[in-house]
Amino acid sequence: MNASATDDQADVERVLAGNIAAFEGIVQRWQTPLVNLAYRFCHDRGRSEDMAQEAFLRAYRGLGQWRKDAVFSTWLFALATNLYRSELRRIPARTVSLEDIAEPPDTRISDGGQEDRDYDRDLAVRRGVGALPAKYREALTLFYFHDMDIGTAARSLGLPEGTLKARLFRGREILRGKLPQLLAVPHLKEA
Amino acid sequence: MRRLTEHDEAEINSILSREDEILPSSGFTVSVMDAVRREAAAPPPIPFPWKRALPGLVVAGLALSLILVGGVAAIARLGKATTPQLSMSMPPVPPPIFHGDIGAAAIWTVLALLVAFVSVKLSMRVASRM
Repeated sequence: MNASATDDQADVERVLAGNIAAFEGIVQRWQTPLVNLAYRFCHDRGRSEDMAQEAFLRAYRGLGQWRKDAVFSTWLFALATNLYRSELRRIPARTVSLEDIAEPPDTRISDGGQEDRDYDRDLAVRRGVGALPAKYREALTLFYFHDMDIGTAARSLGLPEGTLKARLFRGREILRGKLPQLLAVPHLKEA
Repeated sequence: MRRLTEHDEAEINSILSREDEILPSSGFTVSVMDAVRREAAAPPPIPFPWKRALPGLVVAGLALSLILVGGVAAIARLGKATTPQLSMSMPPVPPPIFHGDIGAAAIWTVLALLVAFVSVKLSMRVASRM
């Protein structure tokens, strides 16, 4: 068990024993990942903090339900992911349709630099993910958030690994179909 | 349609992996801890008063059962009483559901009103005590 997991367990035990202040250790250790995960779901800084705060509150309420057979962070991420998904179903993030973003960037209005094209392409791919149906979007979001670790992403989403792999495959297939023009932008670095 | 190459796949992986990281605002921890303390200070949620509600629920259940049994019995009597309509020239006249006199119907109506009144009074009493 690593230091963080040991600290988490110790803090949880202190909170459950009535020391509310011990929860601050958990918040400080996990605030950045939880806010960033929320940000990947909603792409709104203010809202991501609100969502992360609600996730911490739910974690506080449900601390007693954490069974120590899984690491605390796995439980916390699963709880947060579940909350973020329902929150996004309630009030969806602002997205654009895939049809709207499938146009290649207009090089006439930019200075045509490689950085501009890279930026446009990155943005288009991210928006492409944002415009995917929820189950594929969530799969891709969690997969990349957890540094492409299938097992951790599957546990966060509460899905079997096979299902997650299938969703990742399908999500990428949809992206493939919709974004060829963007990925066809010439690679000047290789020229 | 152009198929994506392995290079493109790797590029998608690279783009989606390097999402910018944001830092929580400086007051985030304080804000969360305030919310947690408020949560801890709040009184626990009031449990549903099953003991008080049980008599009302039993009465309501019995009344519902009586109504269902009465309804089924009435339909059964209706089935026995009606004779098959052979003639198509005359429109069938629906036979009365209750064969008893008007007094019996009045008793049922009064009983139903009484049950409704008792239920309302009981629930109001339970609510006023809480």
